[in-house]
Amino acid sequence: MRPLRRALLLLPLAGPALGQDPLQQVMRSLAAVKQRRSRFTEDKVIPELDIGLPNEGTLLWVAPDRLEKHTTWPIDEFLAVQGGRLHYERRDRAVQREFALGEQPEMAALVEAIRATLAGDLPALRQHYEVSFSGTPAEWTLVLTPASLRLRTAVQRITITGQGSELRGVDTEGGGGVTRMRIMPAS
Amino acid sequence: MTRILAVLLLLAGMGGALAWLAPPRADLAEFLPPGETPATRFLFRELQSGAATTLLLAAIEGAPRAELARISRETAAGLRGSGKFAFVGDGSVALGEAEQDFLFRHRYLLAEADFSAGGLRPKLEALLDGLRSAAAPLLARYGFADPTGTFLGLAATWLGETRVATVDGAWFAPQSGPGDPLRALLVARGHGAGLDAPAQRAAMAAFRTAFAAANPPPGARLLLSGPGVFAAEAAAGIERDVTQVSLAATLLLAAFLFWRFRSGLLLALVAVPLLAALVAGYAATIALYGQVHAIALGFGVTMLGVAVDYPLLLLTLRRGEESLGAAAARIWPTLRLAAGSAAAGLLAMLGSGLPGLVQTAVFGGVGLLAAAATTRWLLPRLVPANARIAARPLPATVQAALAALRGRRLVALAVLALATLVLLATGGPSAQRDLAALSPVPAAQQALDGELRRQLGAPDVRSLFVIGPAASEAEMLRLSEALAVAVQPLVARGLLRGLDLPSRYLPSPATQRARQAALPETATLEAALRAAGTGLPFRDTAFRRFTEAVEASRALPLLDAAALAAGAPTIAARLDPLVTRHGDAIWGLAPATGVADPLALEAAAAALDLPGVLFLDVKLEMERLLAGYGRATLGWALAGGVLVAGLLALGLGSARRAIPVAAPIIGAVLVALAVLTLAGEAISLFHLAALLLLAGLAIDYALFLATHVSNSGDDAAGAVLNCAVSTLLTFGLLSLCATPVLHGIGLTVAAGVAAAFVLALALARPISRT
Repeated sequence: MRPLRRALLLLPLAGPALGQDPLQQVMRSLAAVKQRRSRFTEDKVIPELDIGLPNEGTLLWVAPDRLEKHTTWPIDEFLAVQGGRLHYERRDRAVQREFALGEQPEMAALVEAIRATLAGDLPALRQHYEVSFSGTPAEWTLVLTPASLRLRTAVQRITITGQGSELRGVDTEGGGGVTRMRIMPAS
Repeated sequence: MTRILAVLLLLAGMGGALAWLAPPRADLAEFLPPGETPATRFLFRELQSGAATTLLLAAIEGAPRAELARISRETAAGLRGSGKFAFVGDGSVALGEAEQDFLFRHRYLLAEADFSAGGLRPKLEALLDGLRSAAAPLLARYGFADPTGTFLGLAATWLGETRVATVDGAWFAPQSGPGDPLRALLVARGHGAGLDAPAQRAAMAAFRTAFAAANPPPGARLLLSGPGVFAAEAAAGIERDVTQVSLAATLLLAAFLFWRFRSGLLLALVAVPLLAALVAGYAATIALYGQVHAIALGFGVTMLGVAVDYPLLLLTLRRGEESLGAAAARIWPTLRLAAGSAAAGLLAMLGSGLPGLVQTAVFGGVGLLAAAATTRWLLPRLVPANARIAARPLPATVQAALAALRGRRLVALAVLALATLVLLATGGPSAQRDLAALSPVPAAQQALDGELRRQLGAPDVRSLFVIGPAASEAEMLRLSEALAVAVQPLVARGLLRGLDLPSRYLPSPATQRARQAALPETATLEAALRAAGTGLPFRDTAFRRFTEAVEASRALPLLDAAALAAGAPTIAARLDPLVTRHGDAIWGLAPATGVADPLALEAAAAALDLPGVLFLDVKLEMERLLAGYGRATLGWALAGGVLVAGLLALGLGSARRAIPVAAPIIGAVLVALAVLTLAGEAISLFHLAALLLLAGLAIDYALFLATHVSNSGDDAAGAVLNCAVSTLLTFGLLSLCATPVLHGIGLTVAAGVAAAFVLALALARPISRT
């Protein structure tokens, strides 16, 4: 029994050689990265404002489900998601909150767009979005369209671009505005 | 024989008719008092039949997370579909779109806002700051239409912070350790103000049906708790206890008597006063109270173990060729004394004032007297003149033991010394002050309730302010607002962390009207916004939705509870349990959280001097009430003791002759107390009342062993042993009950009766073998 079981365990790894679906391939290479630390810059364009709102900070991903976003400028904001809970901190305001993601469907969907992508978890991504893929495993673009009408009133589209197993950008369009995030490896 | 059977049939028929007319009730609530002060009256009404009793807490465990979530969702859907519940809470509860719109539209009536330029400036700065943060999507949606942050502030105070995680539309309890079971949580609230035990059982059955309909996999379990479950479990527990005790007591008694006498005639004869006692007790209780509580019935059946003494003594103490009538007339003074003192032993229960206990005493007392009267006047007429009934001789070992014990004063002194030593060494039994301990609900169920409440963040209502009675909803809400202001200094002093007030969910009409009147004109508001936004990157048109909303709010009809229920059911479900109606009066409830010292809070609350507002600490009130009943019981127990002693002195003709009879009784009380202490029982008023009952019963043995009724000592000892064993059998069974009242009385009396018999025998004069 033992050799057979081992062979079965290896079966998923044989996938890349068998299937040539580039989306699956990208997801697998993303899933292979168990931890990564990146820097980001963000620019928010909101129609009610004359100017864009820039900020920057760091991202930390730890498989299977922990994602931290630490904005360091111009505000100090720390956001950590693990499992179904979201921890929020504004260190410059001494604000600290814990949320259940399930109580904030919009927030859950926004978190999952990045977290499920980093985890290479296509089924989780498809729970919230219609996913369309273009490009090659080396240079790719994912366009996520919210599945729920309710979310679509706030977010119309999320575009994620990447190179191989690295995320390069996340553009979130909604409410007449857009937030552009650029991601680069931490130096 | 036929005459006996006819009488038995007649009595059985009467008993059956009574039970059919007024079946015994097992609601624990009916056993408890109606309350003496306005506070306790309100408290008991709320606890027994208020909205709080309709709350059901549930947990589902024993399956993987996804499966638990599915069962939880489907169970909740089944509950909503059953129509039996006003509110079902699970992970799928969130403010719906329509409800959010409704509350958003009424935001400036529901909460205070500052529309001046000075007030708006920091809000606009905060909005800009928020737009930079991760909460930007949420703020973009609400912030421009409500830059004052009024709606999000409301939502935060209403929904609070929760430790319950929602996964796949189900609530999951936080797991603090790896050993904690994974649990999906649900809450449901029944319709109406309150439910009696049968309705509670129906609600629980609906819950179980919905759970079963969700196709739970093997191993998945539904755990239910809440006041309703408690009431239903208590009723079921009492019913179970009473049924078992009645059945077992009857069978054991019959078996014992048959073993001793081997006579069907005797069994039939003994059954006559017993049945008469039951029928008389039942009838008297119905006549006085309109119904019989199952606890009173259970106790009444046990009293049969005492009533059986009378026919037994009559039959066994009859001399040679004496007719039964003559024997009855001869022993009547002693019999009368015994029955009278046993009935006097019930005085403490009668005087306790606790309705259930009083009923129990009435049942038992009337039954005892009826049994004695039946023995004296009816039995002699039923027995055929030539019938001879005698007990079989006791087994030799028992006879030897009895003979050995008789007159051994040293043994008696040793027993007494030992009991005294135990009492001195342990400081005696502790007093039971917690009413919860008197509930027949198992401790495990009470623990589960505490756990579920903690996990759901639904604290047990312990300390609360009662608002009312108010003539209208508006007045109640106004009082609630006054209380909210008045309580602030107490919060600042740390006496409590906060209050959940009706006005938190619905401001009074006066407040809503004042807010409406304070709303600015559109032009004024636009000017204020321009001034506040100087130097900030907001476009001129950014706040158009805000100015339009303020303008619309000026003409909105004011909200009342009915409008809130129609537009915002989730928030109305929060308000609902805080409001109760009784007749024309309306009451508000404001449960307090974080109360460390209820006594200090009570004093501070009294000093607030708010008319129409009353502070109530449930545990404190219960303890006081219990202490009050305890004092009454103790007083009556002492009075009853004096009465029993007086009866004894009167019956024996002199106080000097009463002393040797009273000694074993006092000794029995000491031994019973020592046994209770060693058994780890805390003394409740049930034990206290039972001590007097024990004294009343123990007099039998002392009387019959010590007096002139029989000089043939062994016969008397044997006869009294029969009596003591039958009493011991029935009260021993009672001590096995889970219902605290029955258990307490059973244990006390059983221990005391055994001690009384031994002491009475040991203190009796040695047999003069002449």
